[in-house]
Amino acid sequence: MTKGFNFYLLEYTFKHIIRNGFKNLFLTVVMTLLVALLASTFFLSNALKLEYTKKIQNTPDIIITDTKAMRETLIDENLVSDLLSINGVSLALPRVYGAYYFSKADTIFKVIGVDEFETYPDKSLNALLLKNTLDENSMLVSKSVAKILKENYYDSYFNFVNADGTLKKVIIDKTFESKNSFREEYLIVMPKCTAKEIFSYPSSMVTDIAVMVANGEEIGFIAKKIETLLPNAKVNIKEDLLVEYENRINFKSGFFLTIFIISFFTYFVIIYDKISGLSSEEKREVGILKAIGWRVSDILNAKLYEGLIISLSAYVIGIIIAFIYVYILGAPLLKSIFLNAISLLDDCELLFRVDYETLALLFFLSVPLYIAATIIPSWSVATHEADEVMR
Amino acid sequence: MIELQSVRKEYKGGIVALDGVDLKLLEGELVVLRGVSGSGKSSILSLIAGLSKPTTGEVIVDKKRISKLADHFSTLYRRENIGFIFQKYNLIPTLSVQENILLPLVPQNLPKKELESRLQRELINFNIESKRDVMVRNLSGGEQQRCAIARANINNPKIILADEPTANLDEKLSLEFIKLIKEMKSQSRTIVIATHDPLFFDLACVDRVITVKNGKLL
Ligand SMILES: Nc1ncnc2c1ncn2[C@@H]1O[C@H](COP(=O)(O)OP(=O)(O)OP(=O)(O)O)[C@@H](O)[C@H]1O
Ligand SMILES: [Mg+2]
Repeated sequence: MTKGFNFYLLEYTFKHIIRNGFKNLFLTVVMTLLVALLASTFFLSNALKLEYTKKIQNTPDIIITDTKAMRETLIDENLVSDLLSINGVSLALPRVYGAYYFSKADTIFKVIGVDEFETYPDKSLNALLLKNTLDENSMLVSKSVAKILKENYYDSYFNFVNADGTLKKVIIDKTFESKNSFREEYLIVMPKCTAKEIFSYPSSMVTDIAVMVANGEEIGFIAKKIETLLPNAKVNIKEDLLVEYENRINFKSGFFLTIFIISFFTYFVIIYDKISGLSSEEKREVGILKAIGWRVSDILNAKLYEGLIISLSAYVIGIIIAFIYVYILGAPLLKSIFLNAISLLDDCELLFRVDYETLALLFFLSVPLYIAATIIPSWSVATHEADEVMR
Repeated sequence: MIELQSVRKEYKGGIVALDGVDLKLLEGELVVLRGVSGSGKSSILSLIAGLSKPTTGEVIVDKKRISKLADHFSTLYRRENIGFIFQKYNLIPTLSVQENILLPLVPQNLPKKELESRLQRELINFNIESKRDVMVRNLSGGEQQRCAIARANINNPKIILADEPTANLDEKLSLEFIKLIKEMKSQSRTIVIATHDPLFFDLACVDRVITVKNGKLL
């Protein structure tokens, strides 16, 4: 008797939703907000994780600094040969870098010292050095740095105030794009010896030694070897950093927990209210429908559509809101809450990535559960004798 | 056509509504069930409509054992054979007249044209065309009843069951209802009316008046 899709049933369902307008609207709005809140949180944390993973990709496998009185200090670059003698170490690179405060512009430049013929773990730095050769007392600066220098009348050179108070004139050789994968807007690249002069390092000292390991699985093992070889050194492994960040971003912070508890509590109140039974009016309507020739399956179909329409629209609208909030507006408020916990990632843009896990998780939590909660009470009413229902 | 065989109906809590009821109705017959409140009239109509099942005994309509049908099939049986005019009309107050009348057809997925022609027929038949788009809760008692009859009639049922159809109507409207019933009888439908309204007891068109008392037929 039934041919194809029954639009009359869908029409009835729409009217039914509208007739119970206030309650349904309220439920839809609350569900939408819940989905938006949870999706925003997930999107944001995943975007931060992605950002961090990108950042850490350019980090060496192991970083070694020296310690004196529990504080990290400069390390002797002559240790490189000892490190290279360890089996499995493919690269040991003394690095010189640091922050230079330019007081006139109240800006901090990041200064990196490089040597010709060195390969760096950071791919973009390598690319930059391949294109440019650096002479002593000259530097490559990012466009943002060049702009600030120009504003202070340094067109072709800059006078650094060295750590020991003397002056050092360095020529601006070339500029490069500020938006680079170093994620450092104010970046200056110069020969190592020049950088050491600016930071007033003793002759054989460097900021740290970066170590690359040929076989990624041996990193931990080699780090242990280095620790025994250099008992004073502090050995940082890339993985440790990653884990530390993930732990912080992940669900350990109380803020996350609070959001989850509130969301799930609210949601289960909604579901409980739905499941705990129909109003007498709704019961009567189910009884009437049955008495005038609706099969139980017809009634349940109508309820299925009802649940689907409400939960799906809440889901879709909620996800759209979260997308706009996180990726277009940059998650104001929520981001600052996160970044307080992770102060190291202070200035990051949120990288967009379709986050299928979050989409799926929220879908299964919202849509099927809500539909079930809509159908079950009607099913229990509809399967009773219609006679009893209407009494 | 309709047959009840030693029917006993017991509700939850041990209330015996019907006990040993035997009844045979012929096709095209108009029968009135009379009796005081609580005597079991509505229970008989429910059994005939397949809205409830007898505790013991059989209900047979058109040689079909209604009392043995599974829920799904008793619904289909009801859809094809029964037009029920309920005591409290049982309209859906927040739907319009038209929507209420068409409600039984929703699961049947008929072509739009068919719906429109049936609707038009009922609206004219029961004189509520002018109220077509009015929400049912804004109708007068008489209009509500005509709407309820139109809804009962939309599937062209062979059997019309009416429970206290004049309980909420004044005499003028009651007479109007009787006119509608006569018309339906002339289309050779089988009609059962449960009522304690004396107006029905000596009507020429009524074939039989059966008295129900304490769940038994006299
Ligand atoms: N679903 C039910 N659950 C429990 N008891 C019921 C149920 N339906 C009917 N009864 C009881 O069965 C008896 C017969 O009820 P029924 O409605 O058939 O009487 P009636 O003759 O139609 O009365 P009225 O004129 O008041 O409509 C009554 O005592 C009633 O209380
Ligand atoms: Mg009754």
